Amino acid sequence: MIQLDQISKSFGGQEVIHDLSLEIPEEKTVVLIGPSGCGKSTLLRLMIGILWPDKGRISLLRKELTSQNIESLRQQVGFVLQDGGLFPHLTAAQNICLMAKYLQRDPAWIQSRLAELCALSRLSLDLLERYPRQLSGGQVQRVALMRALMLDPQVLFLDEPLGALDPLHRVSLQDDMKSIFSELKKTVIMVTHDMGEAASLADLIVIMREGRIVQYDNMATLVTQPADPFVVEFINAQRKPWQHLEDQIR
Amino acid sequence: MMLQKSILQLLLLSILSGLVFASADANIKVGSKKFTESVILGEIISQHLSSHGIAAVHQDQLGGTRLLWKALLGGDIDIYPDYSGTIIHEILQAEDIDNHAELKSALEKTGVLMANPLGFNNTYALGVSQATAQKYQLRKISDLKNLPDLRFGFTNEFMDREDGWPSLRNYYQLPQKTVRGLDHDLAYKGLEAESIDLIDLYSTDAEIAYYQLHILDDDLKHFPEYSAVILYRAELEDRNPQIKSLLAQLSGSISNTEMVRMNSAVKLDGNSEALVAHNFLKQKFNVSSLVENSTLLSRLLKTGSEHLLLVILSLSAAILVAIPLGIWGARSPAAGQIILSTVGIIQTIPSLALLVFMIPLLGIGGPPALVALFLYSLLPIVRNTLSGLSDIPLDIRESALALGLPPAARLKLVEIPLATRSILAGIKTSAVINVGTATLGALIGAGGFGQPILTGIRLDDTGLILEGAIPAAVLALLVQWGFDLLERLILSPGLQISQESHS
Repeated sequence: MIQLDQISKSFGGQEVIHDLSLEIPEEKTVVLIGPSGCGKSTLLRLMIGILWPDKGRISLLRKELTSQNIESLRQQVGFVLQDGGLFPHLTAAQNICLMAKYLQRDPAWIQSRLAELCALSRLSLDLLERYPRQLSGGQVQRVALMRALMLDPQVLFLDEPLGALDPLHRVSLQDDMKSIFSELKKTVIMVTHDMGEAASLADLIVIMREGRIVQYDNMATLVTQPADPFVVEFINAQRKPWQHLEDQIR
Repeated sequence: MMLQKSILQLLLLSILSGLVFASADANIKVGSKKFTESVILGEIISQHLSSHGIAAVHQDQLGGTRLLWKALLGGDIDIYPDYSGTIIHEILQAEDIDNHAELKSALEKTGVLMANPLGFNNTYALGVSQATAQKYQLRKISDLKNLPDLRFGFTNEFMDREDGWPSLRNYYQLPQKTVRGLDHDLAYKGLEAESIDLIDLYSTDAEIAYYQLHILDDDLKHFPEYSAVILYRAELEDRNPQIKSLLAQLSGSISNTEMVRMNSAVKLDGNSEALVAHNFLKQKFNVSSLVENSTLLSRLLKTGSEHLLLVILSLSAAILVAIPLGIWGARSPAAGQIILSTVGIIQTIPSLALLVFMIPLLGIGGPPALVALFLYSLLPIVRNTLSGLSDIPLDIRESALALGLPPAARLKLVEIPLATRSILAGIKTSAVINVGTATLGALIGAGGFGQPILTGIRLDDTGLILEGAIPAAVLALLVQWGFDLLERLILSPGLQISQESHS
């Protein structure tokens, strides 16, 4: 579905992605995880041509990214940012339908698709008449997800979609996302720094450090057969707040 | 959509009014300098021609000698009154002219004819108050040599004329250091307020008697003769053979006493130049020319529509040019730097200087004023368009990219709507500055609210100054309110909600 072949990328002389190759299979949820500055967000942006690599090749939907095909390829994928990236001058509904209207889809189809997405993300149609600044953080992320799903993309890219939410909203949206992803059978690439989130959502996890992939496996393999002491360290560092109580009880 | 439609309407309007500015050319155009005597003479000439059935318009108080001379050579005006001394020492200073005949032939080489003198001699003189004269026993210009601390206030023209202050200082070996340049009409005020001690004046000034000034005797005969004469374009005789004889009728018709009396009638008694000229012609030639008696309302309508036209045309042209420049600058930072510095430099040119630069290119009147106002309106709009677009947060720009919108659609659907507030603020700033700057258009004959202000300063008539200043201020306020209202109408409600209402 997505193929990265010996990718390198520098910013101002500083190389942030080093000779990286990665293949993402169809209909799987793949999580990119690692400490701050490991290059996971950069990697995500390289996959949809918001950034371009200095070296190497990237293909998306079996096509190599070029400046000619990038806009049509982007129209076949969805993208959700940490703060939603909603356009403040448009209502939630206008945000969701912007691209469909630009591509002159049938208005009746747009309406029925909107209703479908409302049911899926558990938001009321009335709420979609509000502007982004009138929505809560959780609602903004749900609207952003609906906007990304509007044209029924084959691939979804999510950059820390839950990062700015309080714990309660976070858990509820995480659960909803899990069921949406499994129901829709999309290929999902998500960036996070939260191991719990990765464990809950991911089929496959890419652990990154300093612009390189340390290990690319499912959660069970990461725990049972860590490729590097960093993997153990990284997984263990994500402690629950009540970890010390559990330790005491044991 | 709404914005596009109104821009279209403005464009249409500008084309129409461009035609208006370009027309009105068949008339004979009489010019005058921006002091009362010149305006009276301009009125006399134009009314004299009109009363003999020749269509003539008077473009009054256009500016100083150089401006009028250039306008005459360029054909922006056809006739104007000047003084022999001024022509010899200011306009044709490169030539060595000794007498009237030489002057005439020198002028003819430039395509300009000179009618015989009108009769009076309005030479330069230096004046002090009676108190100053008594205090220092001042009688003649030579007496000034021993008084280095006297403060001089001269008209800017006198300050740098070849026959003005520089040569006077050398001729009499004058030691004074405190010499300020100021408007002639303000100079009398300064003398009265004792902030200056000595001014230059014209020997037919009405104020000499009014302020009881003491005129210093030009004991070493420095100042040349300044006989009033009429200059006109040679081709005028071809256009209308009557002209020559009509202008000749005015020769020798105005004595010094007559001119002082007419100046007083305007400056001190508050009569209009038109009426004074009318009375003069009636008494001399027993002809009755039509003098329009304008009402306050009709004057306001005239100046107001001239002013509005200047503002609307220059501003809409600026909007059409500046917004694309701002977009270009936001797309390419290197181009942005160049664009911003260029329009920034234009902004630093003093407005009066810019207006005068325009005259050789575009003549006098509406067009040069429009171009100058257009240039001044660019910076705020360019800057605000550029910053409005550059300030769009990264996540919004990435979202627009990731949706797959092509560049033009991103600009139209996302970037311009988000920068609207900033762009409108830029246009509003330009509009308000434009309304103020347009008052200077009167200096080069573009009319507007500056016209009564200019005349008011010249005649020391506060009422007349306010007649221009108040409407200009009101217009600036209206423009401000208009744009605030427009912002509420066209700005997305989503952007008018403050971030605080976030639940």
